[in-house]
Amino acid sequence: MPDADRTIADATCTACGCLCDDIVLTVSNHRIVAAEHACPIGAAWFLADHGPGDRPIATIEGQPATAEQALGRAAEILAKSRSPLIVGLTRTSLETQARAVAIADRLGAAIDPGDSGDSLPRWRAIQRVGIVSATLGEVKNRADVIVFWGVDPITTHPRHLERYSVGPRGRFVPEGRAGRTVVVVDVAPTATSAVADRFVRIVADEQGEVLATLRALVLGVEMPEAEDPVRELAETLKTARYGAFFFGPDLGRSRGGEAVVEDALKLVRDLNHATRFVALTLGGPGNPSGAEAVLTWQAGSPRAVDFSAGFPQFLPDDATAEAMLSQGRADAVLIVADDPTGFLSGEARAHLGRIPTIVIGPDATSRDATVALGSATMGIHSGGTIMRCDGATLPLRPALATTRPSDLEWLTDLERRLTEIPGEPRAISP
Amino acid sequence: MTTLRIKGGRVIDPANAIDAERDVWIEDGRVIAGPSDPAARADRTIDASGYVVMPGGVDMHCHIAGSKVNAARAFRPEDKTGHIARTGHSRSGTTGSVPTTFATGYKYAGLGYTTAVDAAIAPFGARHAHHEFRDTPAIDKAFLVLMGNNHYVMDRIREGDRDRLRQYVAWLLNATGAYGVKAVNPGGVERWKEGHGNVSSLDQMVEGFGVTPRQILTELARAADDLAIPHPIHVHGPNLGLPGNFASTLETLAALDGHRAHLAHIQFHSYGGSLDKPGKIDSQVPILADYINTHRNLTVDVGQVVFGDTTSMTADGAVGQFLHSVTGRKWISQDIEQETGCGVVPITYENTNLVHALQWAIGLEWYLRVDDPWRIAMSTDHPNGGSFLAYPQIISYLMSRNHRDEALKALPDRVRARSGLADLSREYSLSEIAIITRAGPARMLGMTSKGHLGPGADGDVTIYAPSNDFQRMFSLPRFVIKSGHVVIDDGELRSPPDGTTLSVSPSYDESIVPDIAEWFDENASIRFANFAWQEGDAPSHFGSLP
Repeated sequence: MPDADRTIADATCTACGCLCDDIVLTVSNHRIVAAEHACPIGAAWFLADHGPGDRPIATIEGQPATAEQALGRAAEILAKSRSPLIVGLTRTSLETQARAVAIADRLGAAIDPGDSGDSLPRWRAIQRVGIVSATLGEVKNRADVIVFWGVDPITTHPRHLERYSVGPRGRFVPEGRAGRTVVVVDVAPTATSAVADRFVRIVADEQGEVLATLRALVLGVEMPEAEDPVRELAETLKTARYGAFFFGPDLGRSRGGEAVVEDALKLVRDLNHATRFVALTLGGPGNPSGAEAVLTWQAGSPRAVDFSAGFPQFLPDDATAEAMLSQGRADAVLIVADDPTGFLSGEARAHLGRIPTIVIGPDATSRDATVALGSATMGIHSGGTIMRCDGATLPLRPALATTRPSDLEWLTDLERRLTEIPGEPRAISP
Repeated sequence: MTTLRIKGGRVIDPANAIDAERDVWIEDGRVIAGPSDPAARADRTIDASGYVVMPGGVDMHCHIAGSKVNAARAFRPEDKTGHIARTGHSRSGTTGSVPTTFATGYKYAGLGYTTAVDAAIAPFGARHAHHEFRDTPAIDKAFLVLMGNNHYVMDRIREGDRDRLRQYVAWLLNATGAYGVKAVNPGGVERWKEGHGNVSSLDQMVEGFGVTPRQILTELARAADDLAIPHPIHVHGPNLGLPGNFASTLETLAALDGHRAHLAHIQFHSYGGSLDKPGKIDSQVPILADYINTHRNLTVDVGQVVFGDTTSMTADGAVGQFLHSVTGRKWISQDIEQETGCGVVPITYENTNLVHALQWAIGLEWYLRVDDPWRIAMSTDHPNGGSFLAYPQIISYLMSRNHRDEALKALPDRVRARSGLADLSREYSLSEIAIITRAGPARMLGMTSKGHLGPGADGDVTIYAPSNDFQRMFSLPRFVIKSGHVVIDDGELRSPPDGTTLSVSPSYDESIVPDIAEWFDENASIRFANFAWQEGDAPSHFGSLP
């Protein structure tokens, strides 16, 4: 019997970093058939077939298995491992992430959510100079100058401009779009630059130099070599009443890496001598900020944490997913709610193929894994809390029922089994 | 039913006017009157003969959870000066000035503290704070929610709509799961955020809102009084840390005439000199303490500075920028919509630095110049003045003039000319220490089941081995008991309970909600429907006051 149509208001979309929480979902016959307010990326996400199809609930070595069998094998692998690694974690809730960190603590594992290549340069820069930032509602209500530096939200975060940064009327920007100057700085024109007031073209590998020049100009240092567009941009930044500078992971991947991010953070910081200016990222899909927050409150650092000494250590050169795998130091991997193979190097992927892997995720049982545990999909079937890149937290409103356990239920069961394996807690390796 | 008998200790329970040898009985987590049958046996008996028995400590003003604390953890890898290792029944963590959540709970318990109140959570960050509280075991927790720069609050005050203001305050306490109302630099943070600079007086207009800091302060104080919530308005006044700020502190105290109020980290608000002549900074504790001594509507906590490296963190964004500019150290600032700012800057208090040394002396002056210990609570404003782990050191300065004088000798000579600390001979008794570390703060917070050991009190007890080395005595309790469970036994952490999060739920008129929702959906970056904290968000870790 088909379900009667029902609607769910104020649902949150996890398809991009905007985490729009105003989606109105219509459910009919076990499917989401409409996602009002969603952008094309969000609509495609909500309207996709999230059912398990004919995938088994669990597999061992690619063969269908019961949940009990698969959990038993997973616990055995982890208990035997001398150097386990926990990765993924971006497409799941704060609650699940907290359980994953608890398991890492118990196992003495290394844990590194998401892609440290994306995020570590930013954290290293923040650890050196800090960051002057704000929540998106502050941008909406206050910002009269918006800089999109090397990011193209119209393509990647379609509703960012409408909801947060450009379109809305705000308390101190009552004119909305007309009250804001929008500047795009990028290596080539983009969809966002097409709607901006100004486009400044730069060369990717010269971003650090441009940012440092801007900072010098803002601080009143004479820069005779500076080109006119840079000079004009400095003037725009200085004369903002409240400016917002959006940047993305590419800045940390450019030549100079974290030093370039540091240049950006120092530019924004020093603009506050004379006016107000804040720096923000656009955020990634799912809940990557939540993973960093949970790891920080439980283990003291946002990424690349190694529990092998019996306590957490921040080892940004050694405990990333990439380093643990490409250097062959992980001997078992637990992958939760994400597929890291997309960003890992060839060496890391090759090592992943040589060691036991436990994968938990909606599509786990159709992926390569020693043990695969098929789970519900966050935000579609399972609830919990997620965190936006500016620290806002949002409760999820799952629209569909499923017979699959949530990843939180899988992890909770797994943790219970680990406590039942004799010899726990494991000896701490020297 | 499980019973615990703490037998034969010297029970110091100032709230019940007890300082005598006797038993304390705990049944199912609460203190009960001892059985009349002297032969009655408990499930467990702790022989406390020769020990000192006090209620568990209560920290009424600290920063242990939420976005600002977590930002400090993430951006200070160099602050991870220690760690706690995992055991079969407890989690690992890092320490330093901003410990991880589990480490925070264990360290408080290890110190004999069983309750801690985070004094500054933004409404927008409430849910995050609750998640951290869920992971902070061994102690009961609560937080105060920031309202002193809240747009809805300021708009209602401008309109003179006291009724809607009061309803909103009640609604916000419920929606955030908060314990009380906090005002940080009322109006000043909003001015600073919008680029108008800080406020310099209580009567300066907050641009764009048409209200003054004085109005915000008094109207929020009135709302908290009218709602009869257990803890009155908790105030972080303007000009924190600035030379000459004692004048605006006096102005703030006077503005609160007729209201109950608590003044936070008063040490940071007690400086003479002026902004033009910062070198002239001196102690203005005598005039301020005199005001407190003669106005029974007010209480204070100190915000003692201790020497060493720590992390300053404040909702007062202007203070964060000020500290960054004077220290040149790294700076996190976060403007948070509808309400507040946030500044985090590492700071090292050095005993060779005149200003730091003077801040240290000014804090101790406060403890010694407020006559009634029930009106002053111990705090370092953790981690701002230093870690809560410094409380035993501060206790020893208060209990021993000799110890204090020795420390004073190591400071720059000019400290003695600018602070009257050297002339103060007062020494605290054990009973007075019990007041400023547990009984007093519990009473100021209105937590009627905490800070004492009478029947009905929470079974939170700390047992100390008496010593003339007061620092050692208070650093290493012999036993710490939380809700009737032994949490610390001779320095060893036993399996700790989760602890409870305490909140208040004053009633309000539901008919105000659509108005709040309309304002919220127009101004915020999330939907109103997704704002309020739900108890189900962290099952089994949430409790309300009896």
